[in-house]
Amino acid sequence: MTPRLTTLVIVGLVALVGSAPLWATPYHITLMIPAMAYGIALLGLNLLFGYAGLLSFGHAMFVGIGAYTTAVFTSKLGIRSFELVLVASAVAAALFAIPIGLLTVRYVRIFFGMLTLAFGMLFHSFLFKFYHLTGGDSGMRVVRPTLLGQDTQELDKIAFLTGPFFLYVLALLVILGLVMLRIVHSPFGLHLKALRENARKAEYLGVTVRRFRLAAFVISAIYCSIGGVILAVPTGIADPELAYWTHSGNLIFMTLLGGFTNFFGPILGAFSFILLQDQLMSATQYWRFFLGVVLALIVILFPRGLMGILESLMARFSRGRS
Amino acid sequence: MDLGRRKAIKTIGTAGVVAATLPILGFPAIAQNRPLRVGIIAPKAGIAGTIGECGLQGTLFAVEKINAAGGIAGRMVELVIEEETNPKDSIERLRKLVLQDKVDCVQGIVSSGVSLAMGPAAEEMKALTIYWDGTTQDGVDETMAKPRYVFRSTDNECEAVMASLLVVKHWKGKFKTIAGINPDYSYGRNNWAAFQALLKKFGIEFTVVAEQWPKVGTLDLTSHVAALKAAKPDMIFSSLLFADLPVFMRTAHSAGLMEGTRFAFPAAGFQHTALKKEFTPEGMIFGHNTLYFDHPQANALQKEFVAYYHNKTKDYPHWEADRAYFAMQAYKAGVEKAQKAKNAWPSIEEIAAAMEGVKVDSLGGPGRMREDHIAEQTFYQGITTHKNKYDFPTLGVVDTMYSDQLQKPPGANFWKWIETAQIKL
Repeated sequence: MTPRLTTLVIVGLVALVGSAPLWATPYHITLMIPAMAYGIALLGLNLLFGYAGLLSFGHAMFVGIGAYTTAVFTSKLGIRSFELVLVASAVAAALFAIPIGLLTVRYVRIFFGMLTLAFGMLFHSFLFKFYHLTGGDSGMRVVRPTLLGQDTQELDKIAFLTGPFFLYVLALLVILGLVMLRIVHSPFGLHLKALRENARKAEYLGVTVRRFRLAAFVISAIYCSIGGVILAVPTGIADPELAYWTHSGNLIFMTLLGGFTNFFGPILGAFSFILLQDQLMSATQYWRFFLGVVLALIVILFPRGLMGILESLMARFSRGRS
Repeated sequence: MDLGRRKAIKTIGTAGVVAATLPILGFPAIAQNRPLRVGIIAPKAGIAGTIGECGLQGTLFAVEKINAAGGIAGRMVELVIEEETNPKDSIERLRKLVLQDKVDCVQGIVSSGVSLAMGPAAEEMKALTIYWDGTTQDGVDETMAKPRYVFRSTDNECEAVMASLLVVKHWKGKFKTIAGINPDYSYGRNNWAAFQALLKKFGIEFTVVAEQWPKVGTLDLTSHVAALKAAKPDMIFSSLLFADLPVFMRTAHSAGLMEGTRFAFPAAGFQHTALKKEFTPEGMIFGHNTLYFDHPQANALQKEFVAYYHNKTKDYPHWEADRAYFAMQAYKAGVEKAQKAKNAWPSIEEIAAAMEGVKVDSLGGPGRMREDHIAEQTFYQGITTHKNKYDFPTLGVVDTMYSDQLQKPPGANFWKWIETAQIKL
């Protein structure tokens, strides 16, 4: 596909999603909110995984940081500005990510994965055990935030979610998507790709490997925390399960499902996962089994994920036409 | 500018919801001619899977009886069943049931974490919701102070209060050192704290020699059992209740922990048929709570249900079936009361208001829904015996208490209530 056609398709898809209140049911609109939240989180995770070649098993921790920052701000401090919460969660995620990143990016492959898993589990244990601070297993309440300074209490929850909040989150996805697009096509993004392919060679060429990996780690943490902020609002709670290692597994599943080799793969993965899980959960109590089968099939047959399948179909179509 | 922005947001919200609800708008008369749809959210897998399945049988039994007798206020009942998992996904299931499946009422929920998270969500969605279980003290006041649409089960701590009272009644003066092994979440922590508070209230001097907090679902409890054995307590209090309880019992039996130690298990009824005689001794205080399947004076309804359950599952039911039956019958009573008062089909608000104070003859005995939306029910606990026809222990001595003796009155604080309540042994 030409860049111009790609742009047209993306604009068309954004317009389609943005017009969802006109054609989708309220339930399906509310389903798109976590899909977009995960889309943002996965854009960050894939900077680390797809571009820098580091697979984290602990990024649910940053989703949890986003959710708990929202809870602390809205229900404990009484600060309900969504914009302030977004900034605060990004700062909190960065403050956690810098020391953790300094320790973890010294390692690669399974060692990096295990270290991130360990830090994720430490954070989960903190949330679970320090219940006087965090609410333990009961979590912390998230109060509805204001958007652009406007209080929406006059709307009921569904009207709030399917109206202003939905459009706000879509705008966030677009803005953060454009920022990430700029990042991956900048010299920084190219350096990440170079060190992913051959870190030693990149170092010889002047790439300061650890500093670049650390920067990718921090950016990915910020994206995940913003995803966590968005996830916490519809459910109205920040609970420790958001930071549990199985949630990190879900993030990786979504990335693989959509395809980590394509920039838009993780967003497609997030939407597909939410839809697939929703349908399977209603259809059968063995939905986890079927999700496992899908993951196995994707890894074995389509390692480039759904986006890879689409790319192959497009290439075949182009060859057929020529 | 400010007004313009406010108006724009309001318009977007209104336009969004109007546009999105257009396809589902229908005529009230048509809506009333369709069956009443009840959404069920219950665990189907994992350590609480069997609990959810047992509850579901209670619901199915209630629906079969209701439909055979002509339905609820003339409308048949149909079920839409969804799985309870973590708080986030369970709230999404609630949203699906309300927005997509258009259910008239939601029932279910076993986990405390899910119930506390779902309460505010259900209130905000104006979804009439009746919990089977999961009503611990933590967070209830904060998240569901005065619910309008949500109805809760009896306080989870009722089980611990009754077991503690039985410990005082049967074993006062027979132990000095105690230990606890309780699940590491609000339910386990509250039960252990309530147990100690009640011992103090009744003037029992004791020393805590060990506290073990396994995470829910831990299936290797060797180190916990070793720690308990090393502490040599006279009595052990445990609120283990999921698939980890039979594992604990086997491990404790193998380690010789059972010899010379008294046990109180306020919530063991959830696993009663998995606790085989070969590793579960007699003489333990054992909570069957709102349904004791083998009660010698059981009413005809309970006998019918136990036979129904045994025919379907080759097993014997526990109290979650009773909670589910109670929830369905409380809803039926509320709908019919509101319909009779209005002489037309009532709104959700009218049904919720009518449910306050309704009395229900549940599987385990009489119960009612209090005005503060918390259930009152009949509880059964006692001391285990092997003298029965089963391969698991039953109760040799059965104690019965109504929950008004076991839970705080409306508006009270649980911990202050323990200190001041006039409780009869």
